[in-house]
Amino acid sequence: MASDRAPASDTEAARFLLRAKFSATSADIADLRRLGYRGWLAQQFAAPRGQTGAEWLDAAGYGAITEDGRYFWPQFGDHMIWNQLLAQPDEMRQRAAFALSQFFVVSLNPIDGFWPPYMLAGWWDVLARNAFGNFRTLLEEVTLNPAMGMYLNTLGNLKEDPASGRQPDENYAREIMQLFTIGLYALNPDGTPKRDAAGNPNETYRQEDVTQLARVFTGYDRDMSRVERTDVAWLDYPVPSREFCRDPMVLDPAKHSALPVDFLGLHIPAGTDGRTALALALDHLFAHPNVGPFFGHQMIQRLVTSNPSPAYVARVAAAFDDNGKGVRGDLKAVWTAVLTDPEALAPWDPRTGGKLREPVLRYAGWARTVGVESETGKWEIYDLSNAGLSLGQSPLRSPSVFNFFRPGYVPPQTAIAEAGMVAPEFQLANETSIAGYTNFLQWAIHTGYADVKPTYAAMMDFAHDTPELVRWLNLHLAADQLSSETCALIESAVAGLGVTAESDEEAKRNALASACLLVMCAPEYLVQK
Amino acid sequence: MSGIVTRSLTRRALLQRASQLGVMGAAAPLAMELASASEAAAQAASGDDYRALVCVFLYGGNDHANTLVPYDRRNHARYAAIRGNLAFRRELLRDTVLEPRVPQTLTDDQRFALAPYCPRLKVLFDSGKMAIQLNVGSLITPLTLAEYNSPDRAKYPLPPKLFSHNDQQSFWQALGSEGSTIGWGGRLGDLALSSNAQSLLTCISASGNAVFVSGREALQYQIAPSGAIPFRPVKRLPWSTPAVSAALEQLVTRPSGHLFENELARLARRSMAMEGVVNGALDKVSLETSFDLVPGENPLADQLRIVARLIGARRELGSKRQVFFVSLDEFDHHNDLAPKHAKLMAQVDEAIAAFYMATVELGVASQVTTFTASDFGRTLASNSDGSDHGWGSHHFVVGGAVRGGRYYGTAPHMSVETDDQVGQGRLLPSTAIDQYAATLASWFGVPDSEMATVLPNIGNFATRNLGFV
Repeated sequence: MASDRAPASDTEAARFLLRAKFSATSADIADLRRLGYRGWLAQQFAAPRGQTGAEWLDAAGYGAITEDGRYFWPQFGDHMIWNQLLAQPDEMRQRAAFALSQFFVVSLNPIDGFWPPYMLAGWWDVLARNAFGNFRTLLEEVTLNPAMGMYLNTLGNLKEDPASGRQPDENYAREIMQLFTIGLYALNPDGTPKRDAAGNPNETYRQEDVTQLARVFTGYDRDMSRVERTDVAWLDYPVPSREFCRDPMVLDPAKHSALPVDFLGLHIPAGTDGRTALALALDHLFAHPNVGPFFGHQMIQRLVTSNPSPAYVARVAAAFDDNGKGVRGDLKAVWTAVLTDPEALAPWDPRTGGKLREPVLRYAGWARTVGVESETGKWEIYDLSNAGLSLGQSPLRSPSVFNFFRPGYVPPQTAIAEAGMVAPEFQLANETSIAGYTNFLQWAIHTGYADVKPTYAAMMDFAHDTPELVRWLNLHLAADQLSSETCALIESAVAGLGVTAESDEEAKRNALASACLLVMCAPEYLVQK
Repeated sequence: MSGIVTRSLTRRALLQRASQLGVMGAAAPLAMELASASEAAAQAASGDDYRALVCVFLYGGNDHANTLVPYDRRNHARYAAIRGNLAFRRELLRDTVLEPRVPQTLTDDQRFALAPYCPRLKVLFDSGKMAIQLNVGSLITPLTLAEYNSPDRAKYPLPPKLFSHNDQQSFWQALGSEGSTIGWGGRLGDLALSSNAQSLLTCISASGNAVFVSGREALQYQIAPSGAIPFRPVKRLPWSTPAVSAALEQLVTRPSGHLFENELARLARRSMAMEGVVNGALDKVSLETSFDLVPGENPLADQLRIVARLIGARRELGSKRQVFFVSLDEFDHHNDLAPKHAKLMAQVDEAIAAFYMATVELGVASQVTTFTASDFGRTLASNSDGSDHGWGSHHFVVGGAVRGGRYYGTAPHMSVETDDQVGQGRLLPSTAIDQYAATLASWFGVPDSEMATVLPNIGNFATRNLGFV
C-alpha cells in the first residue's frame, strides 16, 4: 500500500507535507522520510493540541471587561484565527480544521452581541477538536454550536405557532442537507451523479423535506447555565461571562415542535423528545450513501487537486464508509485516504493537475516556512478579505455559507472550462485580486503586516548564496515545482542585488524578500500540484 | 451637486431615523434637484450613442414583502396578521406611500408603500424615474399552482433547485443552475463587443466574479471601487531593484502549458494591460455628485461610484455599450430581519439615488438603466423574527428612459393560501426573469430576432416586452 511507503526524495516529502499542512520545514521532511507516510500521519494524529483559540484570547487579555466595550469587538477573532493558522504547533490539525471550515462554514461577519471572538473561538475549537475524530460527532457538535446557531439560525428557533402562522426557521435544515451532508443530487460511490433514463440527475430532497426537518432544529438557545453576570458602571445591563460561547446550545422542550417529522424516508413520531429527534435525524443523514463521496470529493479538492478521478473519490468514500475496522465517518481514515492515494502521490497531469493555492495557504505557508513573530504577541492581522487592498481571502470570513468558492466553479471562457474541468479557487481570481495579492506581499513579506513580521532567521546564513536560496525556497515553498527556467530567472534577478556574506541584515532581508516575492507570484508555485 | 441626497447614515442614525416620521426630510432635496436636473440634463445630454445596463444584485434573497408593503387598510391588516412582529406599523409607512403617476388598480385594490428607509426611491418612483416589476422570478414556462403541483415535470418543468441560494443566484444571472458559465448580461455583451474600442470593457463587475457578466466571447472585467489595481511591485519595489520588478513581470505573465498556470498568466496580462488604460481615463473624469461615503460603509455606493466614473470615461475609452454588475451581500434575513433589512435597504436607497443623480450629471440619465435582482423573494410567513427562502419577488428599474411611476405585472394577494403562492407566501412568479431580461435587452438594442439566443426560454412566454423601459 502506498500509505506504508516513505517518500523517495525530499521533493516527494515536501509535496506531501504542503498538502497535509501549511509548510514543509527541513525537520518535517526528515521526520516524514524516516517515519513513512503512515507513521508520520499517526504521529500527527496523536500530537497534542496547541493553545485553543479561547485560551489564546484569554492569554492575550481579550477576555477583560473594559469600559471601551471590547466585549463587542469582532477583530480579536481575526487575530485569534491567524494566530492559530500561523503559530500554533498542531499544524496538521490546524490545516485539517481549515479545510473543514470551508465545508462547515461559519463566518465572523454577522456574528454580533457579546464576545464575538469567543464565539468564533468556540466554533474553531469544534473543528479543531474533531478534526481527527468522527464525522457523526462533528456533525452534532457543529449543529449545536452557538456560533453556527447564530449563523444559520438554530439559535432561538421556535416551533410553529398555528395561531400566528409562524413557522420554524428552515435555514439550518436546508443547509445541513445541501452543504453539510448529502448535497443536491444522488451520487454514485465515486461522486458522479446518478442519472435517470432521460439522463437527468435525481434530486436528493424536496422543499417538503426541508420544512419537515426544520421542526427538529426548533427549541435551541444559548446555554446560560454557567454564565456569571458582572454589573458595570457604564452599562445599564450586566456583562455575561463567556461560557455560552463554547457550551453547546440547550433545548427548551416547550419551544420544540411536537409535530411528527417525515424527511428522506425517516419518520420521527409526534411528541418524540427533542434530543432523541435530533439523534435520529443526524443518524439518518450520516447514514446516507451520499456523505462519503460528497464530503470526500471536497476534501480532495481542498488538499490535493480540483479534478480527482472518480476512482480516487470512490477510494476516499470507501474509507469514509469503513475505516477498515467497521467504523463509518472516521476522519483520520479520510485524511489518510486523501493524502496517500496513489493518484495523489503519482506524477501530476502536466496540463490539469493540482489546484490553485488559496491566498490564505500562500500566506500561512510562507509564514511558517520563513518564520514570523508578533512583537506584541497580539497577532494583529485583521480581516484580509479585500482583494484590492489585501489578500482577498480571510479565514472564517467567508462571504456566505457557500464558502469563498464553490466546488463546481468553472472559470468562464478559459481552457479549463473547455477541458471540462472545475477550478474552485479561481472564483477568487480576477484582475483586481491578482494585482492586489502582489501588492499585499510587497509589504507583508518584507516589512511585515502590522505587528507580524518575518524573521527569516534560518535563511540569513545563505541569503548571499542565491542559487542555494532559490533551491531552498523551491523545495520548501513549492515542492520543487518551479521549473529550472523559472529558477534561473529568479536567481539572475536576485543575484543583481549584490548581497554578500558580509552584507548587513537589511540587505540580506531585501534579497530574501525579493526571492520570496518572485517565487510566490510565479504561476508554477501558485498552482499546487 | 447632490450631496444632501446621498448623505451617509450611520447605523444608529438610521435606526433613529426609521423610528421617526421625519424620514422624508432626507429625500426632499432629491425631488427638487430632479425637477431642476431634468432641464440641466436635457442641455447637458451629449446625444452620443451610448447605453449601459447596471445589475444591482441583492445576494441572499431580498425580503420583498418588507420592501414593498401594502398600505391600504384592508391589505395592511392582512399583511400584519400574517407577518406578526415582522410587519411595519402602518403609520411608519405614511411618508413612503407610492403615488403612481396614473392611477392603477392592483389586485385586491392594494396600495403600496416602500420600506420607510427608502425615501429616495419613493422620490424616483413618484417622479417617473423608477418602475416596479411585481412578482418576477425564475420560470421555464408560465405556471399555475396546479401545474406547479403536477407530477408531470416533462410537461411543466421547474427551474432547477428552487429555494437554493447558489442555484437561484445562478438562475437569475445565467438562467441555469450553479456551474453555468454564460450569463445573460454576458450574452448582451457578446452582441455589443464590436461597438466598443476596448472590447474587454464591455462586461464589467465592480463586485466579485459573477456569471452574469460572462458571455460566450465577452469576458468579465473586474474592477475595484478605487479603480483598476496596479501591480505595484512590477512598477517599483522600494526595497529591491528594477531587475527584480522586471523578472516579476516576466514571471507572472509568461504562458504555460498547464491550463491553470496559463490562465493566471492571461489574467495578469489582462490586468496589467487594462490598468493603465482604465486609470488613465478615470483620472480625466470629473464627477461632482457626492456619494459622500465613509469608505466601506456603503459597499454598494462604492461600487456604483466606480461604475459612474467608468461611464464618465466612456468617450475616452471608446465605450458605446456596457453591462455592469454590482452587488450587496447578506440579505438572507432568517432572523433579526427588522434592523438588518433596514440597514441594507437604506444602503440600496442611498446608492441607487446617488447613482441616478450621477448619470444626470454626466448627461446620460436616459442612456443608463439600473435594475435590481436577487436570489429569490422570501416567505410572507414569519419564523419569529425573520423569513425563509421564497421564489417570486418585486424588483426596481431606474433610469431616465424608464417608464416609471407605475407598477408592471400582477400584484400577489397578501395571503399564504391563495393560488399565486406555493406555501407560507412563497410567490409563484407571474412574470419570468426571461421577460424582465428581454425588456431590458430590447432597450439595450437586441433585436427581437436575436432574443432567443440571449434568453433561450423567452419563446415560452407570450409577452416579450413588459414595457417598463
